Amino acid sequence: MKAKRLYFFLVLAFMVSSVKAQDLLDILDKERKDTLRYAEATFKFSRISFGHSVQTRKDGTLDVFITNRFWNTPADRSQSFFVDRLSTRFALEYGVSDRLMFGVGGTTFDGRFDSFLKYKLVKQRVDGNGSPFSLSLFQNASYFSESLSGSRYDAISSGRFSFTTQLLVAKKITPKFSLQVSPTFIHRGLVYGPEDPQNHFAVGFGGRYKLGAHVSFVSEYYYVANPLKSIDTYGPFSIGVNWELSDVMLQFMLTNAVSTVEDAFIAQTRNNFNFKNPNLNFGFNFTYTFHLKNKLKRKK
Amino acid sequence: MNKLLLFLLISTTFLQQDPGKIIARQGQVSFFSYTPVENIKAENNQVLSIIDLSDNKIAVQILMSAFIFEKALMREHFNESYIESDIYPKATFEGTIIDFDPTLEGEQTRIVKGNFTMHGATKELEIKIKIQKQRQKFMVSGSFEAEVQDYNIKIPPLLKGNIAKIISVDFKFEYEAYES
Repeated sequence: MKAKRLYFFLVLAFMVSSVKAQDLLDILDKERKDTLRYAEATFKFSRISFGHSVQTRKDGTLDVFITNRFWNTPADRSQSFFVDRLSTRFALEYGVSDRLMFGVGGTTFDGRFDSFLKYKLVKQRVDGNGSPFSLSLFQNASYFSESLSGSRYDAISSGRFSFTTQLLVAKKITPKFSLQVSPTFIHRGLVYGPEDPQNHFAVGFGGRYKLGAHVSFVSEYYYVANPLKSIDTYGPFSIGVNWELSDVMLQFMLTNAVSTVEDAFIAQTRNNFNFKNPNLNFGFNFTYTFHLKNKLKRKK
Repeated sequence: MNKLLLFLLISTTFLQQDPGKIIARQGQVSFFSYTPVENIKAENNQVLSIIDLSDNKIAVQILMSAFIFEKALMREHFNESYIESDIYPKATFEGTIIDFDPTLEGEQTRIVKGNFTMHGATKELEIKIKIQKQRQKFMVSGSFEAEVQDYNIKIPPLLKGNIAKIISVDFKFEYEAYES
């Protein structure tokens, strides 16, 4: 009996001392209570493929963003080298703060100049205490500079402006998989026919799946609730791959959208997604990111 | 006899607690990667560390997302593509400071031996540290080298030149008495 009790106390003493040795890391886990953990990089870039993602750029980063779309005309024979048509948008996009982003761009093919502001309103929290999704507001204005047949357009330059407002709602569901829904309102300046609406409602769906650490698969689609009546339009769709290399972002995609400006590609995509020329475009976007602020220096 | 034993056991457990624990809440850990292409430097000033003075056991906890880089994109790449902080948010170290005498005032150089876990991989390390005691404050500093390969961190072939194979890590902790 005595021996049993002695044994029991020895075991107890051993347990007490071993518990003491183990819980150093647990003490540290308890120490760190106030760490806010937000879902970072729901998408790797400010665009999913052609459309804006919920992501804004970090404070002090300048993106030199070049968007290209290549496509062929339906002619049997063509004397064009490589592709028949090319549209390029050159843009500068700057992260004013970690939440606010500003950009200007110009497109060669349809002569559209655009400028936008995007603000990250809500950040998704991963610890379950806050918002389960991220939310950004997007507003752009675009100016259509191409000359138009029919003199009634030339008289009023205000009709050449279009505006797009988007609510970008996204969730990083797993570290690899993110989804976005983007309710969109478009006001188009130009009136093609009396039956055409000038205000469009649309909703976009987009997603990414990380294939590896640096490569992700992306796809996007926009549904327009009240499309143009005088011409046939289709919802823009894309499948693509985003490849990130240090300061360079490369995006490759197949899409039926020609334009890269929101009001044009959402409401005025005239081809459906199929493999007949000139419906299918190959898209190649190149972005080089400059860092104008040194984060280490600013802290000191 | 039994009562005496019980008394001894209780008194020893209480005696063990007597030297107590010391904690560092704003420990500094920085790492460097030097290559001809690019130098990468990152700093973390929120590292936690605790030492149990009764048995010289030490633990360190590093929050990976708290590292700050010169470029904002580097931080994103570090967390998203290399260290995968969504899956492995912390790096930890657990070890023992060999022959550490907490009562000794001034400077002493000791070896700390233990396991470092980062990105899901554990490696045994032996690090030379400098301990400086001034009144009730302890300063611990040192450096070690970590091989990227040891921690299952994959670097794409195109970026092999940008990231060093061996990363040098510096650390500095200032401890004060811990009250639970």
